Amino acid sequence: MGILERITKNVDNKYWYPENDTFPVKNRYTAGVAGQKFFQELKDNGKIYGTTCAACKLTFVPAKLFCEQCFAELDDWVDVGTTGILWSWTIAYKNKDDSKKETPTLLAAIRLADGLLVHWLGECSPEDVEIGMPVTAVFKDPGEREGSLLDIGHFKPVIS
Amino acid sequence: MRKVAVVGAGMTKFARRALETPKELSYQASKAALDSAGMKLKDIDCVAHGSAPDAFDGIHQKGEYLADGCGGWNKPTMRVFVGGATGVHAIAHGWYHVASGLADTCLVVCEEKMSSAMPHAQAFFLTIFDAITERALGLNLIWIFALEMKRYMERYGYTKEDMALSAMKNKNQGLKHPASQFYGGNELTVEDILNSEVMASPVSRLDVSPVSDGAAAIVLASERTARRLTDKPVWIEGVGWCLDTAYWATRDLYYPRYTEIAARKAYKMAGIREPHKEINIAEPYDPFGYKQLHHMEGLLLSPKGKTVELLRDGHFDMDGNLPMCPSGGLLGVGNPIAAAGTLKLCELFWQLRGEAGERQVPGNPRLGVAQAWGDLMQVSSVVVMGINNA
Repeated sequence: MGILERITKNVDNKYWYPENDTFPVKNRYTAGVAGQKFFQELKDNGKIYGTTCAACKLTFVPAKLFCEQCFAELDDWVDVGTTGILWSWTIAYKNKDDSKKETPTLLAAIRLADGLLVHWLGECSPEDVEIGMPVTAVFKDPGEREGSLLDIGHFKPVIS
Repeated sequence: MRKVAVVGAGMTKFARRALETPKELSYQASKAALDSAGMKLKDIDCVAHGSAPDAFDGIHQKGEYLADGCGGWNKPTMRVFVGGATGVHAIAHGWYHVASGLADTCLVVCEEKMSSAMPHAQAFFLTIFDAITERALGLNLIWIFALEMKRYMERYGYTKEDMALSAMKNKNQGLKHPASQFYGGNELTVEDILNSEVMASPVSRLDVSPVSDGAAAIVLASERTARRLTDKPVWIEGVGWCLDTAYWATRDLYYPRYTEIAARKAYKMAGIREPHKEINIAEPYDPFGYKQLHHMEGLLLSPKGKTVELLRDGHFDMDGNLPMCPSGGLLGVGNPIAAAGTLKLCELFWQLRGEAGERQVPGNPRLGVAQAWGDLMQVSSVVVMGINNA
């Protein structure tokens, strides 16, 4: 079940198994008021939205419901485009069990408006990566998107 | 506000897998701290307790579980937890109890037993990230610190070797700490660190402090009580803390702004105007080699971008102008999260009293600062301690 869907009746949760009296602990998160729109736009239109605080002159990406600095409620939605600046990056060599990854993961922090998105970097080799270079989001096909950050498959360098 | 003194300190060995239960670790550190002050549990009015996520010890609401080990039997006991910053935060929290006049003595105890978390304590860090915007990527802490370290190095042109030098300094200093899991071991070279396995570039295995079990404690007392107990009280001159938010999207990663805000609060309370000239010993938080340099800048003890130069010039050596991490820190002693911050307070206590043995900083240091940092790169807690300024 995607984060954009809601369950209103507890019995529909299917996390309680009376037949063997177990109650496995899980969390099912909601996208949030701002997240609902942010991920809907990602899913339906392949767009990345931020919310702007006019008083603090900040555009938050990912979008936030409120400005953390002045507490204004934010409803000024801005399409920030799908290209950002590479702010920092790493090559992760290890799996969680400490074994070596077959293909190392390129992970990036990408500046979009005044925010940062963390995402994978693809279609490039480590030698080509430089802090400050423009990178653009590569979306999954519309049919494969489900309202998640992974509707973006990865970011790739903008070839100039 | 009343003056508050530290009158005792104690800690367990920081071990990779201690036999002791979390309670027993807390007990050992608490007992050692009380013994060093010549006090009994009945002399303690209240307990300020710190321990980071419940998940490490594997006991939900572990504050309640740990209470007896922390000396909390039939006493007002409060727990604080702000991730890695807990160990210094808890002292600020204990300070309030005594400074306010509510209590004359307070036992501050911090504990973490990370080895019971299976398969590895890092697994519990996977859920500190935003459930919606970050967790989908499978982020772990090493990856996030790699991003921060990279940004820091890029900003000032620091190299991997610079960062390894920082890690090496603490690893080798830790060999002199009896509570260190490396006590009496062999020195490392910069090459050893550079040649250790790259986990997520630029972080190599020996750039990171070892996951450990342990506890540390100090005893706080009001001025009148302190003077009755000891002729060498160490005064808490200032405390400060600051939380930035877990939404780290809006800050640059090269500078810990929240550390500066916390430090300024502590310095103001301590009447310190020029920290880099007035402070004699610094114990910045050092879970990674680069972090202690990052924190020295946030603590206003080193100009931004000049820290590696000062490190290479010996400025931060034991006989330098501003000895840094004489304890050996998290890298050199071990990193049982909450207890690691308190290790730094214990070190200031011993250093300022001239009781640090093999690690003693020369020249009778009079003023020290300790700092811890935690949560999602967002919290700093700072305590300034001094001697002979009654």
